[in-house]
Amino acid sequence: MDEVKDAQIKNEPDEMASLLERIQDGDREAFMTIIRLYQQKVFVMAYSILRNREDALDAVQETFLRLYQKAGLYKPGNSFQGWLLQMAKNISIDSYRKHQKKRQEWETSKPLEEIPVAAEDRASDSTSSDLRSAFSRGVEKLAERQKMVFVMRHYNELQFNEISEAMRISVGTAKSLHFKAVRNLRKWLTPDLGMQR
Amino acid sequence: MNKCALNRDDWAAYLSGDLEEGERRTMAEHLEKCPDCRAETDETRRVLEKADAVKAEIREAVASVNWEALPAMIADRVLTNAGQPEKALWAGWLRAWAFPLRMKPVLAGLAAGLVVGAVAMYFALKVPGPRSGQDTGYYASGDFLDRAELTMARRNTLDYLEKSQYVLLDVFESAGEGAGGPAAFSSEQARDLLSRKKYLNAQLERFQMAKAKAICDQIEMLFLELAQISGDLPAAELGRIRGFVEERQLLLKINLVKKELQSEI
Repeated sequence: MDEVKDAQIKNEPDEMASLLERIQDGDREAFMTIIRLYQQKVFVMAYSILRNREDALDAVQETFLRLYQKAGLYKPGNSFQGWLLQMAKNISIDSYRKHQKKRQEWETSKPLEEIPVAAEDRASDSTSSDLRSAFSRGVEKLAERQKMVFVMRHYNELQFNEISEAMRISVGTAKSLHFKAVRNLRKWLTPDLGMQR
Repeated sequence: MNKCALNRDDWAAYLSGDLEEGERRTMAEHLEKCPDCRAETDETRRVLEKADAVKAEIREAVASVNWEALPAMIADRVLTNAGQPEKALWAGWLRAWAFPLRMKPVLAGLAAGLVVGAVAMYFALKVPGPRSGQDTGYYASGDFLDRAELTMARRNTLDYLEKSQYVLLDVFESAGEGAGGPAAFSSEQARDLLSRKKYLNAQLERFQMAKAKAICDQIEMLFLELAQISGDLPAAELGRIRGFVEERQLLLKINLVKKELQSEI
């Protein structure tokens, strides 16, 4: 029953505005309703970027903390989901960069013989799971906006209009970035997939 | 190389189901007829299929989370840690402001250097002494100030007597060279000493320096006469002044008063 009620709230902008007003007054129930409605979407967004369950859960918590703090800044005319996913995306990217920096520091602080060499990585690329990791590395290599559009379209399964709201770009730009992302992935992954151009 | 004029942008959109029904049908009909486009679309499809593998991984991660319990857990943590939204905003702003410094030791060092430099400059350039409207925290008793002024009066008197002595010695030297000789004495010096005497009078009276005042008064009379003389000093006039100084033992008295003043300073 709760799910049906939640779905009604989600599709009703006035209900959402009212929930956000109650959050500003410190209403726990209103806050929990919004978390229930969007927690999975926020998690998928965070996981798509971070590719680690615990880091993604931290990002989910940080996103809702940010929502609680900034509930008063939401403009009722705009898409709430787009606004929330934009926060989730920014938090996840920040977290990803922090983790990446730590990884780099860890690698540079390790003796040379302990750092995994590229040849070892490539030796195991023949299995299907490594094709998947090659694909992930390809996504990783994409320019940030291309990567975000690709992640939102294919992992979050958002429509282009939803992506345009979350990224504050036009639908046309979102489609164009998506095409460039797919083209680049094809170019980089053709050798790994055993395809000839 | 595929030279087909069909819009390639549409391939990805076609495969991810983002084309309108009419466009999708057109694309499907074209792919049936065009082997080049079909081959390229197949390649794209195989790439996108890999995204499905990642999607499966994401689904697994989603399935591993207890979504029923998570909202209460997040709400508890957020409401406990964040306090009121306004307060949290302030904390967020502060964090955002402090964050770059924490992450960049060079900037933090520069900022610390600026602060230390500013404090050092403040103390280095700070003007000593009282300022209008400000309590400087400096106190001096009336007795202390009186003593300081008395010392100043003695120093001024001593200086006046020394200069007068030189002038008088000049007069005597001129007299020794014979009448009509070069006038070493300048009435200008006498006028200068007369003006200083006016300033000195107040100090001599205030501190009741009677002995010093008496001798200074005699010198003043002498200088009044000398100041009125211009040009070469007539021999008769010079002899008269010299006689006056010798009669009163003026130079000796000046020396005595000077010694007395020096011992008191």
